Amino acid sequence: MRRSDKYRFYLVLAFLVALEFTVRSRLGDERAAPDFLLLALLIYTIRTQPGKAAAAGFVVGLMRDALTPASFGAGALAHTLVGYLSAWGKAVFFAENLFVNACLFFGGTWVRNLVIALASGKLRGGQLGWELLVWSPLQGLTTAVTGVVVLWVFRRWVHVRVREA
Amino acid sequence: MALGADRYASRADTLVFLGCLGLSLAAMSLPPVWRDPVASAMRQTILAPFLELQRESELLRTSRTRFDAITAQRDSAALAATFLPELRAENQRLRGLLGLGQRLGSGYVPAEVLHQAAPTDPLALVVSAGRQQGVRPLAAVVSPEGLIGLVSTVDARTSIVVTWANLEFRASAMAADGSVYGIVAPHGTEGPGVWLLELQGVPYRQMVPEGTAIFTSGLGGVFPRGIPLGTVVGVAGETEGWERTYLVRPAVHPSAVTHVMILNTGRSAGDLHGAFRADSVPAGGGGGPL
Repeated sequence: MRRSDKYRFYLVLAFLVALEFTVRSRLGDERAAPDFLLLALLIYTIRTQPGKAAAAGFVVGLMRDALTPASFGAGALAHTLVGYLSAWGKAVFFAENLFVNACLFFGGTWVRNLVIALASGKLRGGQLGWELLVWSPLQGLTTAVTGVVVLWVFRRWVHVRVREA
Repeated sequence: MALGADRYASRADTLVFLGCLGLSLAAMSLPPVWRDPVASAMRQTILAPFLELQRESELLRTSRTRFDAITAQRDSAALAATFLPELRAENQRLRGLLGLGQRLGSGYVPAEVLHQAAPTDPLALVVSAGRQQGVRPLAAVVSPEGLIGLVSTVDARTSIVVTWANLEFRASAMAADGSVYGIVAPHGTEGPGVWLLELQGVPYRQMVPEGTAIFTSGLGGVFPRGIPLGTVVGVAGETEGWERTYLVRPAVHPSAVTHVMILNTGRSAGDLHGAFRADSVPAGGGGGPL
């Protein structure tokens, strides 16, 4: 891999972070709009080792916690878990193709929301049910679709194999 | 760099993972007095450029609407200028009679809501106004439809708003005509009443009809009197012979709000009944004895 390719990869991640803070609010319901920050983390975990992925998840989660103080710490926990499991799972179990990556984005989003909801203890009963059965799957779906588009468009930059399932 | 099938978690990876988990759990267990300064410092340093980016994006999004509004205001001002001497004299008379002074023209800070992609976002919002704009802790936060919540933490250019959906939220409330008083709190998280409020502590002998508009009462000195909270939609429960609790449909949902007004804490003693649109909550009578 050339050095310029490495910079391009981080450029894609920076682009996703910028989208989170600029475009996301224009994409309809906040609860269902794709989470570009989590997507950047998951794309990073595809290429990196589990330890680095966990550390990146912790940093991303802590940043998010500073913006949603109602669940401080829960975001760091959730993103650390998702980052580590994603990188570990990709290395041990998963094949490299577009559909598997889409499933990773969907599952990562859903698990992240599950851990935040449970760890924060703020959502219970009906609220938790709606969050996990309606809003989180919707957000996972939009995040997965966005992730597939990003991987396809920037496939040469992110160096992830995107052959069809 | 293609992914290798032989890559797996080394001991170092596991240690880093466990360290991050430990730090996360430590962050969760931090008391608010330590947690808030940490979060505030992050918002004002690492996250400041991102929040500024989000704020600019929100401004850009609404620039077209603002342009139309400013054009309409300019046209109205041009029309009003034709009658300026008469308007000025009449305005001076009315202000003198009503003693309103400049109170109606100021006393709030406008702010954009910077929504985040977390399930708990509706419980505590980040808004784009802070200490530099004159925001103070415990200031009431409203939208044109009604009460959103109150400011809990103030940074230099942003603030955290605890919304009515937060389980710790309470507000002293009354019916539109002041005949019924009680405490409004989140209804809880069970069943179909999610994202509803409840009016607690209403004496058993007083019935509050469905459709009754509920406002802040001003008691307690946190929220000014007369901010719409919602509309009564039914009875949630009752303590036999003592009191009833009523379900209240909120005037506005936190996740649906993009812009808010943060009232100056000095206004908490005022009555804002006339400042809100008449259609923000359906009109309804107050309660009455059985």
